[in-house]
Amino acid sequence: MKRPVAVVGVGQTKHSARRAEVNIAGLVREAVDRALLDAGLEHGDIDAVVIGKAPDMLEGVMQPEQFLIGAIGGHLKPVVRIHTAGSVGATTALAGVTHVASGLFDRVLVIAFEKQSEGNAMWALSPNMPFMPPLVAGAGGYFAPYVRAYIARSGAPAHIGPMTAANARANAGRNEYAHLTEPMTVEDVLESPVLWDPIRYLETCPSSDGAVAMVLASAEQAKKGPRTPAWVKGGASYAEAMWVPGRDQVNPLAGRTCAKHVYDQAGITDPWNQIDTAEIYVPFAWFEAMWLENLGFRPLGEGWKAVERGDVKMGAHLPINPSGGVLCTNPIGASGMLRLAEAALQVMGRAGAHQVEGAKTALGHAYGGGAQYFAMWVVGSEL
Amino acid sequence: MTQLRNVAVVGFAQAPIVAHDPHRMANEMLYPVVREALAQCGVERDAIDYQTAGSADYIDGRPFGFVAALDVMGTWPPRQDSHLEMDAAFAAHYAWIRMQAGECDTAMVVGYGKVSEGQPERVLNLQLDPYYLAPLGLGPLSTAALQASAYMARSGATDADFAACAARNRAAAARNPHAQVRDPAPAAALQQTPWAVEPLRQGYVAPVGESAVCLILAAEGRAEAMCRAPAWIHGVDQRAELQSLGARDLSRSASATLAAEKALAMAGLGSAADVDLVELSAATPAEEMILRESLRLPAQGDGRPAINPSGGAIAGNPIMMTGLIRLGEAFRQLSGGAGEAAVPNARRAIAHAAQGHCLQQNLWFVLGRERRWS
Repeated sequence: MKRPVAVVGVGQTKHSARRAEVNIAGLVREAVDRALLDAGLEHGDIDAVVIGKAPDMLEGVMQPEQFLIGAIGGHLKPVVRIHTAGSVGATTALAGVTHVASGLFDRVLVIAFEKQSEGNAMWALSPNMPFMPPLVAGAGGYFAPYVRAYIARSGAPAHIGPMTAANARANAGRNEYAHLTEPMTVEDVLESPVLWDPIRYLETCPSSDGAVAMVLASAEQAKKGPRTPAWVKGGASYAEAMWVPGRDQVNPLAGRTCAKHVYDQAGITDPWNQIDTAEIYVPFAWFEAMWLENLGFRPLGEGWKAVERGDVKMGAHLPINPSGGVLCTNPIGASGMLRLAEAALQVMGRAGAHQVEGAKTALGHAYGGGAQYFAMWVVGSEL
Repeated sequence: MTQLRNVAVVGFAQAPIVAHDPHRMANEMLYPVVREALAQCGVERDAIDYQTAGSADYIDGRPFGFVAALDVMGTWPPRQDSHLEMDAAFAAHYAWIRMQAGECDTAMVVGYGKVSEGQPERVLNLQLDPYYLAPLGLGPLSTAALQASAYMARSGATDADFAACAARNRAAAARNPHAQVRDPAPAAALQQTPWAVEPLRQGYVAPVGESAVCLILAAEGRAEAMCRAPAWIHGVDQRAELQSLGARDLSRSASATLAAEKALAMAGLGSAADVDLVELSAATPAEEMILRESLRLPAQGDGRPAINPSGGAIAGNPIMMTGLIRLGEAFRQLSGGAGEAAVPNARRAIAHAAQGHCLQQNLWFVLGRERRWS
């Protein structure tokens, strides 16, 4: 990066199944206003706006940023709309980082949202590919074979996914913005119905309405703000092709490549010991164990052992998803940015009741497409 | 102001704009174009640091339509990537910002989509505010007609003026092998064509079109080896404005005006009159006239700068690619690849992209044959 970039303000909405009291613009504005208030700034202070969301079919509005220009304070500003499937929120934030790093913009507002109650996620996430039988099984149906492959490869026992799901719910109970917060046990999860073998109902992310925004700034501007900023130590977004023979969907090369690029920027050689907490994109519980390996936290085949030992719980070696993560809150287009924003809050020491004590370095991560798009950043409390 | 890098367009390939290619999917149309652009630059895929695309799911009629392009773009091993749900020209602008941030030295920008598979007037209706505007049933043609009416009311432009504008574009398009509408027609004949939506006649607007485009950008140090005559980016800016048709003066484009001022200032130019040609994403004669005003050029007439030597969007308007094609046409002009459509001695050009209804968001590139910054 040409110059340092900091997170100087974070705002998110209360997430729930249906935010009936606000329309799409109202929902987005809620997060934008909170982020600006947090940064001690006004719309006039913002040089550019970067906005992301997942497929437009979720709300049935094509390029909704066009009608949201007023709500996001984009009038007569540069506005960029990103769409990289489930990773979009993270890619959007990283595009904001690029804007600031370029030296062309000093303060950039990044926003991601989804108002899933406006439509039907199962339908909107079931792409009808030409010359292929339609699966019409949403994301869960798409990813279940990958989970089965992971279990077959690693020999992980059946309770690993349920352990992750129960832990996520325990964490979400401490997050005032989370959607699903009712506690549940591993037994509760195991007793819930199988939706897409082996993925059970309670190992599945919800459909949420929600939005998140951040203000990103140059070092000079960040030092003026009311907050102790979170510094972006490294960030990147990578994609890989769909139809490459031998492509490994369980441990995708794009994820490994992206993580290495980000760690190299951040000077991280041993993520398990150098990162204090991670917000990683886990829409179905088994992906936690899978990504622990893909992100280099644990050796191949051993991600599930960290889950089983409880190393990923609050207060343990590497708390994963202290916010409760995607399993408890999934406004899909916003979910990736929420991971990055939560990582920033952790290193700012402002994560409230789900704060990881002493967190100085945190990873925020998202993935999307058929496990093809990856975007992540490492943030730190020091420049 | 920050220290800027010299970045140039070094390759551009485009499928001819056609009404409908029934035999190929969007990504099949894209593949040969990607290969051609790389071949122009004399490089293989490994030489490209970063890739980005512009397309829209609703044009594809399915979610995640852009995923299919990953394979075509040669996304293996994995590449640094972002996709913009915008006209691909905006993706080119974002790639330029990445180069300014030092995140890459070369970039591939693609645009694709087959709006011809659906009915644009209905599909792009969904781009409007879903609570107040979309339920009125407006599409891009009907909102463009509202804008044309507003422009006529303010400026006094007439149906004959619109016909003259369309006729000039069509005459130019006859020299452009990539244009969709290649039959020149005198203004008087165009004025006899039926209303598309009054005051826009069928002869004034491009029919539905589809294409696929690939543009290669490279920073100084890389560009020279990839292209004999790169088109250097001297200035660029983009601005959006409110969508609400009742909240803005439709007879003008505030966002186009501001972005043009910023881009010209970055290019160190006092005025758009200092360039040799301008390529506009103007889908109607009224849009062209409004954009000329944004550049402070006369609303009518030809000469220097030449307006739309390619025939412009009036002669071919593949949604999500129209803007990137303008940038590609400017590159062709400056690099000596414009063939019969060449503007003699073209040294500086302006390329424009727009998206949204009634020129809601506008992007300007100012390009030149010489490097801008030393």
